[in-house]
Amino acid sequence: MAAKMAYDEKKILEMLREDSISKRRAFEAIVNNFSEQLYWQIRHMVLSHDDANDILQNTFIKAWLNIDSFMGYSKISTWLYRIAVNETLTFLNRQQRTISIDIESDETDIKNTLESDPYFDGDETEIMLQKAIAALPDKQRLVFNMKYFNEMTYEEISEALGTSVGALKASYHIAVKKIKSFFDNSD
Amino acid sequence: MKKEDNILEKYSGRRPFTTPEGYFENLTANIMAVLPQEESGQESAVKVTMWMRIKPYVYIAAAFAGIFFCVRLALGTTSKDDNMQIAQTEEMTIYTDEYIDSFLETAMIDDYTIYYSLVDINN
Repeated sequence: MAAKMAYDEKKILEMLREDSISKRRAFEAIVNNFSEQLYWQIRHMVLSHDDANDILQNTFIKAWLNIDSFMGYSKISTWLYRIAVNETLTFLNRQQRTISIDIESDETDIKNTLESDPYFDGDETEIMLQKAIAALPDKQRLVFNMKYFNEMTYEEISEALGTSVGALKASYHIAVKKIKSFFDNSD
Repeated sequence: MKKEDNILEKYSGRRPFTTPEGYFENLTANIMAVLPQEESGQESAVKVTMWMRIKPYVYIAAAFAGIFFCVRLALGTTSKDDNMQIAQTEEMTIYTDEYIDSFLETAMIDDYTIYYSLVDINN
C-alpha cells in the first residue's frame, strides 16, 4: 500500500481534479486527516460506537459520491462537518420516530444503552451528564459537544458549522445553563 | 449551583467513550474499502468546468450591472426631462410680450412690415 500523503489542502484540491487514481489518493488523505475528529463528533451525538461507525462511513461515502460537485468555496473540513452533522441528525430523527417520544423512557434508554455499552467507561455522574446533554435541542447539543468534549474554539466551530461566533456562544451558554439546571433538579 | 459548576469543570474535555482496540489505526483503510470504485473510462457524473466555477460570479456581476443600468436609466431620463423643462422655461422667459414690444419699438418695424412678413412666410 502506498505511503500516506501529508495533508495539504491546496494540493488535495488539485489532485481531486485529476485522474481517478490521484482522486482516490487525495480522498484517502482527507479520510486520514478528518476521520477521527468526525468520529468523535458523531459518537458524542449518537453515543453508541456501532452507530457512530456506520454514520461515519455513510458520511465519507456521501462525500466521495459528491466530491466532483465540491467546488472548493468552503474548506474541506467545513463541507465534511456539514455532511456528518446532516447524517447524524437524520439518524437521530429516524431513531426518535421509531423508538420513543417519551422523555422518561428516553432517559432510561440512554442509561441502559450506556451501561450495557462495552465502549463506555464513564461513571454514574457521566451517565447523568450524557442524559442532560441528550435532552438538549440538536443544535445546542452539537455546539456543546464540540466545545466541551472536543475542546474546539468558537472560531473552529463557526468554520465547521457556518454559524456566527456570537450565535455559538449563546447556544453554548444556554446549553450549560440547561445542564446545570438538569443536575439541580435531579438532586 | 456550585456543585453543578464543579461537575462540568471536572469532566470537561474527558471522553467517557472508548473504541475497539486498533479502531483508529485501521479506520482509513476500512473507510476506503467501503467506497464504491469509479467505473473505468466513466468520467465523473458532474464535471466541474471553468464556466461552472465562475458562473455564480458572472450572475452576481450581471445582477449588479442590471441594477446599475436601471438606476442610470432612471436618473438619466429624469435629468433629460429637467433639461428640456429648463430649456423651455428659458425660451418662454426670452420671448415675453414685454420683450417683443420693446424689440419692435427699437427695431422701428411698423404693423405693415409685420403683416407683410407674415403673409410672405405663409406663401
